[in-house]
Amino acid sequence: MAPIFKVSYVVAGGGHPGAIVNEDQKPVVGERVQLGKDEFEVVEVVDLIPARGDFSFLHVTVRPLKN
Amino acid sequence: MELAKVLSQVELFDGLTPSELEQIARICQERSYRSGEVVAQQGATGDELFVIWEGLVEIVHSGSPQDPEPRTMVNLGQGQVFGEMALVDFGPRSATVRVVSDTARLQAIRRDDFLSVCEEHHRVGFVVMRNIAADLSFKLRHQNLMGR
Repeated sequence: MAPIFKVSYVVAGGGHPGAIVNEDQKPVVGERVQLGKDEFEVVEVVDLIPARGDFSFLHVTVRPLKN
Repeated sequence: MELAKVLSQVELFDGLTPSELEQIARICQERSYRSGEVVAQQGATGDELFVIWEGLVEIVHSGSPQDPEPRTMVNLGQGQVFGEMALVDFGPRSATVRVVSDTARLQAIRRDDFLSVCEEHHRVGFVVMRNIAADLSFKLRHQNLMGR
């Protein structure tokens, strides 16, 4: 099975609850992500806990993009 | 995509064999929701666990004396589960769950159906309960990171 990335998205600066989402590609710094109706830019990607089976567990910090 | 295949990509069912995933797929009920619809209400009786197949939901908690305003704790997207506490402690819903994407497709699993599968297949019960613990742990880690 292809790897699955379980991501904890935390929005820099607070004011947004962030999100937990499964992704099929590992997020990379500079990439844009859509969480609901809001768009963000990835600023940091770190392993949150060791991978288990097909699952990797990531902490990703994002910043809001102004539309 | 076949439901058992979809379930294999959900951490809650990680470690189950294809035949065990088929057992779980047989007790799933698909539900569709639109933006703004409430899937679960804080304080209500709940006997179902939900797996998010498509869409995004917000988990809203309200009503503590220190924090009376409703507050979105986290958003959950594809592959995540909610309502798992009802499977574990039989208590009321701890938060309100509302759809925030345009639409959402969920798989609902009734507690009695799930426990029947566990009674018949003890390994399924062990694996899923272990994964529920891991998922709750991940959600706690997310909350800790939010507070940095």
